[in-house]
Amino acid sequence: MNTPAPAPLLSVRGLTKHFPVISRGFRPRVTKLIKAVDNVSFDLAPGETLGLVGESGSGKTTTARCILRAVQPTSGEVIFRPPGLDTVDLVKLSDGQLKPLRQHFQMIFQDPFSSLNPRMTVGDIVGEPLLLHGLARRMEREERVADMLQRVGLKPEHRVRYPHAFSGGQRQRIGIARALIMRPALVVCDEATSALDVSVQAQVLDLLKELQRELQLTYLFVAHNLDVVRNFCDRVAVMRHGRLVELAGTSQIFAVPTHPYTRLLLSAMPSPDPDFPMNFNVGEELARLDATAVS
Amino acid sequence: MVSFDTPVLSTPASDIVLEVENLYTHFKTDDGEVAAVDGISFNVRRGRTLALVGESGSGKSVTSHSILRLIQPPGRISGGRILLRSARMGDIDIAGLNERSPMLYKVRGGLVSMIFQEPMTALSPVHTVGDQICEAILLHQPVKKAAARDIAIDMLGKVGIPDPAHRFQQYPHELSGGMRQRVVIAMALVCRPELLIADEPTTALDVTVQAQVLGLIRSLQREIGCSVLLITHDFGVVAQMADDVAVMHRGRLVEQGTVRAVLKNPQHAYTKALLDALPSRHALRR
Repeated sequence: MNTPAPAPLLSVRGLTKHFPVISRGFRPRVTKLIKAVDNVSFDLAPGETLGLVGESGSGKTTTARCILRAVQPTSGEVIFRPPGLDTVDLVKLSDGQLKPLRQHFQMIFQDPFSSLNPRMTVGDIVGEPLLLHGLARRMEREERVADMLQRVGLKPEHRVRYPHAFSGGQRQRIGIARALIMRPALVVCDEATSALDVSVQAQVLDLLKELQRELQLTYLFVAHNLDVVRNFCDRVAVMRHGRLVELAGTSQIFAVPTHPYTRLLLSAMPSPDPDFPMNFNVGEELARLDATAVS
Repeated sequence: MVSFDTPVLSTPASDIVLEVENLYTHFKTDDGEVAAVDGISFNVRRGRTLALVGESGSGKSVTSHSILRLIQPPGRISGGRILLRSARMGDIDIAGLNERSPMLYKVRGGLVSMIFQEPMTALSPVHTVGDQICEAILLHQPVKKAAARDIAIDMLGKVGIPDPAHRFQQYPHELSGGMRQRVVIAMALVCRPELLIADEPTTALDVTVQAQVLGLIRSLQREIGCSVLLITHDFGVVAQMADDVAVMHRGRLVEQGTVRAVLKNPQHAYTKALLDALPSRHALRR
């Protein structure tokens, strides 16, 4: 019995974001265009985890922010198919049309310290999305907050405390609870575990996997740590200079990377096994790669 | 069974450049004194790299700061010995030196130097890169300013900075993160220290830049013949860079040995847990 593959939850087509560089002077002029995201296309199937990797400045975060419409893309399409709702192009919607849809796509941030308001209690932080969207009355809100806190491994009585009372790992759990309380279909994790120690990172990754199964989540996992991506993602997209250089299944990309940049990136990873020496000469090889690309 | 209290390596003393013995560093708090470093002992072998690895708060940076006597009140070194067995100056107990002793100034930046994690905070924003390297040279070497300039430009070239004479006059904000870290390395190695302490030297850098900076530290270490104490939380960096490793947890060393022995066959439960938490080894419950 072969059921046809379900339609992708998200289809990104030709996504582009250019930032103009404007000269200062009597008559400001656009002197240069920075192509932060340059014609990026990919699909995201429901329940899938797609890793978006690249070095700083490669455009991975800008891509994620364009998809969530945190920044307005210059051009391209972001087709979003939330289950049970109409298919929409997120790029074309007005802010007003977008607001009721925002509950279906949420974000988990990198820094567990700056992404939580220190003046709000954990209960208020986690419950705020419900309040903003007018989704639940007070009693129900309290119940859903308590339930969500338990799901992320915190206690319902933590509701009344403030973020400063929690460790980095616990704060990241609070951020996860805030993102998931809306029961979104799509969750963008922007370097969600980068700021954490290895042992805490492993726990948070386990939690994210567990919640994905329970709540049928689809993850777009933005990261620079290839080791994390390798064990967490189903497919991996590699970005460089705003472009998608390679997109393939995780085991394939790590076993047989086809793009020379992906190969370089993988060779520069310090392996925790002393029998797999890393490549220290990445600098020259990158320069050679850029030289051949230009000519 | 591994014992952690006995001196670990049975090499002759002359092969050792730094002996840390029963080091305690305490910090005064409202709730009494906290031992950030709680009686640790280790040796750095001459010409070799020892990695001190642990999670945040384990005391690895306090250890490295203690070695250079950079601990500020309310912290203090409350016990132990830090013996530098210098080939140039003989044996020096750094822990026992007076705060104002001229010997301490010879040790800092001269015999032992340090690469810090964040290159922007390690460099002064109001002095040119060249002036900052020359300062280190003029403090420790009997040379005139013009000669110092030549040495500095030569060193900038050695750390792989293109057009060093031009970069010499630039300020840190004109350089990228990787270039800044190269300047910090040039500053640290220009006086040919016997021991280099690298405190998370590549944590703030991208993978490809990290590979280049690590490669640079390795090749300069061979050229100068110095020993390296590498502070890191990344087992990947440990495996690729170090000869020996000491695992730190809550101010104590839980395990030490050669990199191969510890990473391939960890004895202590904490080391095992830490290695199992690595994304490459951690089997996610799917």
